[in-house]
Amino acid sequence: MMALKSAYLCFGNKQVFKIICSQYAKYSNVSALSVKQTFSENVLETTSEDLSHITPYFSNTFNLAAYVNNSETLKKLVDINVDLSKIEKKPHIVNKILKLDFEKHMKEHIIFLNDYVGLDEVGNFLTKNPLILCEPVQDLQVRVNYLESKGFQNDQIKRIITRNPFWLMFNTVRIDRRFGYFQKSLQLTGNEVRHLTTKQPKLITYNLHHVKCNMFVLKEEMGFEDKEMKDLTLNKPKLLMINQRHLLERFNYIHNIMQISHKTILKYPEVLFCRNFKIKQRHQFLLKLGRAQYDPKKENFISIKSLVLDTDAEFCNNIAKCSVSDFNLFLKTL
Amino acid sequence: MVQFKHAASAYKSLNGLICVYKPPCVPVKQVQHIIKTNLCRDLNALPVRPREQRIEIEGATNEPMIVKLVPNYADDPLVCGPRYIHEDIRCSWATHLGLFSSGVLLLGINEGTRLTYKINMGRPTRAFKVHGQLGKATDTYFWNGKTVERSTYHHITREKIDSVVAHIQASHQKTMFEMSGLHMESQTTYELAAQGLIRPASSKLPVIYGIKCVDFKPPNFTLEIQSVNEYEKYLWTLVHDIGVQLRSTAHCIGVNCIRQGKFDLELALLRKHWQLEYIADNMNQCSQLLEENEHLLQPESAVLTA
Repeated sequence: MMALKSAYLCFGNKQVFKIICSQYAKYSNVSALSVKQTFSENVLETTSEDLSHITPYFSNTFNLAAYVNNSETLKKLVDINVDLSKIEKKPHIVNKILKLDFEKHMKEHIIFLNDYVGLDEVGNFLTKNPLILCEPVQDLQVRVNYLESKGFQNDQIKRIITRNPFWLMFNTVRIDRRFGYFQKSLQLTGNEVRHLTTKQPKLITYNLHHVKCNMFVLKEEMGFEDKEMKDLTLNKPKLLMINQRHLLERFNYIHNIMQISHKTILKYPEVLFCRNFKIKQRHQFLLKLGRAQYDPKKENFISIKSLVLDTDAEFCNNIAKCSVSDFNLFLKTL
Repeated sequence: MVQFKHAASAYKSLNGLICVYKPPCVPVKQVQHIIKTNLCRDLNALPVRPREQRIEIEGATNEPMIVKLVPNYADDPLVCGPRYIHEDIRCSWATHLGLFSSGVLLLGINEGTRLTYKINMGRPTRAFKVHGQLGKATDTYFWNGKTVERSTYHHITREKIDSVVAHIQASHQKTMFEMSGLHMESQTTYELAAQGLIRPASSKLPVIYGIKCVDFKPPNFTLEIQSVNEYEKYLWTLVHDIGVQLRSTAHCIGVNCIRQGKFDLELALLRKHWQLEYIADNMNQCSQLLEENEHLLQPESAVLTA
């Protein structure tokens, strides 16, 4: 008979979560009640029976490490590089994962994922999205078929699924709606949608409110035109996913203080990903040296790109033409 | 540069004081957090302790059982989490630096947290470079506040600012002796002063030992201040007061701590160098400095009781 054993998982925040571990069927053949009945007559007497199937209960625990040595399923997950310590941070997921059996519930999924993600990445994939094991494989196949029907190549599909582990959790209706949203709001052609999706698969499943806000920031607050915004997004789709306050702060510094035009920013959108303090200190250093000249038509031109991409040593040697120690000394006056 | 072979030996050596450069607009709490995160990251990247073995006794109980040595899955970093986490590293600051101030910040790591306590109780003087701007007064006395008043500053010269600043220094020295409750011209006062700097007994009492104007390019000016127990807001008000005494207005545009006790800017680690190797190197330099200057931990000085 199957006996469900319950255990409590306690976490750092002292919340108690109930976990039902049913995969220990091996140890659960004898329920507590039947054990009592067997031994109620003469507990102290020696017996010649095989008692190896009687094991103590799994007690309350703070983490999955307490169970891992007794569970073949968890062991196998660790063997394919799934980081259980990250999964256990979300107790509601642990509840669901502990009910699964490797052979029965997980094998098909892993074989399925292996085709798209590759064996090295499966562990990473499952660490990020363990709940995929609870979705039926047929559904996953349908979602992949949907991508094929939309004209995605096989390697594109592989890239999408590897780069965005949550893609397969979205049903086709939702994905279709989101494709429609991006196509409409950015006025993309079919090919461009496919390009955008392959370039940054996370964008399609990202929080739409956040995406809308960032589009607003780009268009209304920064003043990019529709066409420019489309180019920006196709070039750097991540722009729609970063924190809007940081985005605006960086743009504000680059455009209003350093006097870089929209056109130049469109050319090197990388500058919007650079942390503000980095670009600030380099700009101020160049100002102090009198070399902050970002106009390509005049002499001693300094490309805005070099402010962002190089390491400090390269920046000092090639751009500022001074030693790194001078730059470090300057940094200590800020 | 120290090269570590194992995480364990690196972790054991992480006991002591470090001196970092706090950038402006980054709170001290965040500095602590970044340092802890970086140390954990670097320690976990080094070769860490291997997985432990575990003894299992298997087989039927009515037959001879097998004793096996198997790898312990519960000890795998994938199961129990990374070997070094934030909670393994203690970190405390010696003296607080405000959000908008930048400069030398002393942090104690693990056993070094005691040192920071001692250093704080020793009340080392801190030297600041305070940048001010004439012509505008704000409600917070800092550049980010609302403007409450504007005024001209063309009548202000270097001589005027020097005299105001000298006056402030003199009055602070005077109050220092006055608060000790002794007569200014007595033998006891002389003996008290001969013992060293008169330090305030409580940590709430700001005392300025020296203040001078090191740079004056109207409307900007820079003051160099040596003091104990000061705090960000106090230095801002000081700039505001100087503005008023100059028959104009002024607000502070930056506070930069350039020295605390014997720890100066040269020793301080920049944000890009907050990594295990640099931190370990810095820790050695700091401990050397502490050995050479024992008075940093137990200063000989008179105590001013208010």
